[in-house]
Amino acid sequence: MEWANDKSKGGVLAHLERLETQMSRSCKNLEDPPRETAESDLGTKIHKLRCLRDKLRAEVKQRQARIKASTANAEPDQTLEISEQEAVGGKEENMKAILQAYRFTGLSGKRTSRGVCVCISTAFEGNLLDSYFVDLVIQKPLRIHHHSVPVFIPLEEISAKYLQTNIQHFLFCLCEYLNAYAGRKYQADQLQRDFAAFLAGPLQRNSLCNLLSFTYKVEPQGRSFPFCARLLYKDLTTTLPTDVTITYQGTDASSTSWEEQRASHENLFFTKPLYQVFTSFARNGERLDMSLVS
Amino acid sequence: MDETVAEFIKRTILKIPMTEMMTILKAWDFLPENQLQTVNFRQRKESLVQDLVLLCESKRASLRDAALLDIIYTQFHQHQKVWDVFQMSKEPGEDVDLFDMERFKSSFEKILRRALKNVTVSFRDAEENAVWIRIAWGTQYRKPNQYKPVYVVYYSQTPYAFTSFCHLKSNTPLLSQALTVASNHHKIVKMDLRSRYLDSLKAIVFKQYNQKFETHNSTMPLQETLELDMHMDSRIIHENKIEKERVQRVTQETFGDYPQPRLEFAQYKLETKFRSDFHGGILAERKEPLRCLIKFSSPHLLEALKSLAPAGIADAPLSPLLTCIPNKGMNYFKIRDK
Repeated sequence: MEWANDKSKGGVLAHLERLETQMSRSCKNLEDPPRETAESDLGTKIHKLRCLRDKLRAEVKQRQARIKASTANAEPDQTLEISEQEAVGGKEENMKAILQAYRFTGLSGKRTSRGVCVCISTAFEGNLLDSYFVDLVIQKPLRIHHHSVPVFIPLEEISAKYLQTNIQHFLFCLCEYLNAYAGRKYQADQLQRDFAAFLAGPLQRNSLCNLLSFTYKVEPQGRSFPFCARLLYKDLTTTLPTDVTITYQGTDASSTSWEEQRASHENLFFTKPLYQVFTSFARNGERLDMSLVS
Repeated sequence: MDETVAEFIKRTILKIPMTEMMTILKAWDFLPENQLQTVNFRQRKESLVQDLVLLCESKRASLRDAALLDIIYTQFHQHQKVWDVFQMSKEPGEDVDLFDMERFKSSFEKILRRALKNVTVSFRDAEENAVWIRIAWGTQYRKPNQYKPVYVVYYSQTPYAFTSFCHLKSNTPLLSQALTVASNHHKIVKMDLRSRYLDSLKAIVFKQYNQKFETHNSTMPLQETLELDMHMDSRIIHENKIEKERVQRVTQETFGDYPQPRLEFAQYKLETKFRSDFHGGILAERKEPLRCLIKFSSPHLLEALKSLAPAGIADAPLSPLLTCIPNKGMNYFKIRDK
């Protein structure tokens, strides 16, 4: 036990103290770095979070400032929206008007839940006449659901020929028939209505207006004998007659002037619609009168 | 004036209700306006009729004039007759029909007279393109019976003719022949369609009963809205709302939005074997077909059928035997086993 006495006067107890402090120092050295790193980690985390918080705060402030700025410009923005609405509404009105005006092209249509409803608008010499409808069901085979075509127009024939194979042709063919019928009917109605003074008897006609038979005079006052006219329209797609027969039953039927008149009338009926023929009679009558006066 | 003609005119004028007297006499246009004004229309009908007949005598009214008055009366009282429909057909590929009304009339009358000397035929033009024909039939030895005439209504260049019900069936073939030949057709067939309402028959065969079309011009509602009061108290709930809407939709698809043509009945003659789920019933397992006649009657049959499903009386969709009536142009059916 000499070394114990050699080290210090303290003796064994002092040696033990020294060893204890050594040990506690070394333990401390071992513990300190984790605590420190944890602390520093937390510290850095806190620091980071603080930075993030500050950043977010700053952003919120920025956005609020922006909103305030934009609400300050609120009124000009609203009026922009309203005028946009008006513009859209105006466009819609325009489109509706265009769709409605399509019927002036003579052939228009509208989609239905089943297919399409086709409208054929007839016209003659710039006068808009009746419209006829064909409601088509788009199925195989294509079929007509209902229609407003008159029964004497050969719709079954035309659809049997073209409806399944060439619908364009079907529609154009039907348009032809209906427009021609409407034109002939218009001429017959006009003759009865506006030129009744020239007719010496009732106008005989039929459903298709393809046979017209009437007696007429060139002068409404009726100094002359009447002519008998018989107009046949064998082609149902035309508004001018295919056959014209004018007869004259006056006493001087053999005279050349009447024969000339008869022939010229026939030519007129072949080439001009009825109202033009009778207007020219009226004008000739005026000319004749004028010549008598002078 | 013949006594029989005078009697005929007297009985015809007696039939006319007082409210229509002036209108019909004016349409007849036989007694001029100034003469009519001399008559006292406020007296008792019998005396009025006597005065009118005297006027007719003074103007020497003929059978032809009397027949015309009869036509006009019938035109005003179409519903008093029951009308049948005949359908004519042509050979395919024929020339365009150049129908001449005067030629039709003379041809029609000629055909009847060739077969039967004792017949009265009268015509009256109606609308733009139609003619009413009145035929009083006689026999070889008897003069025509003016009190049981047959009427025919024909629209030119169409394949359909409407005839008033005739008790004398024996003259129908001759009438059919005259119609067919005079109107440039080859065949004629009687349709299984009959009604008092000439306009409805016309709408059915000319396919004019559905005249509602969708266009860009109309702001027509595309669907009938269900007639449930949407502003009702919210505490009230509609049971079966979905089912009711389905029934409405199916009914509208079948019958459409338009007013139905007017028919008074539909008749089904069944000659089918009785089919029953229950075995051992009296009628079950018979080899012979069961013969029975089912007739549906109504003042307005098609509207009544249309209201069956919405009223909850029948299931929707209705049997196609009921709903095909205007489409097929039939209200008399014969049903046999296939």
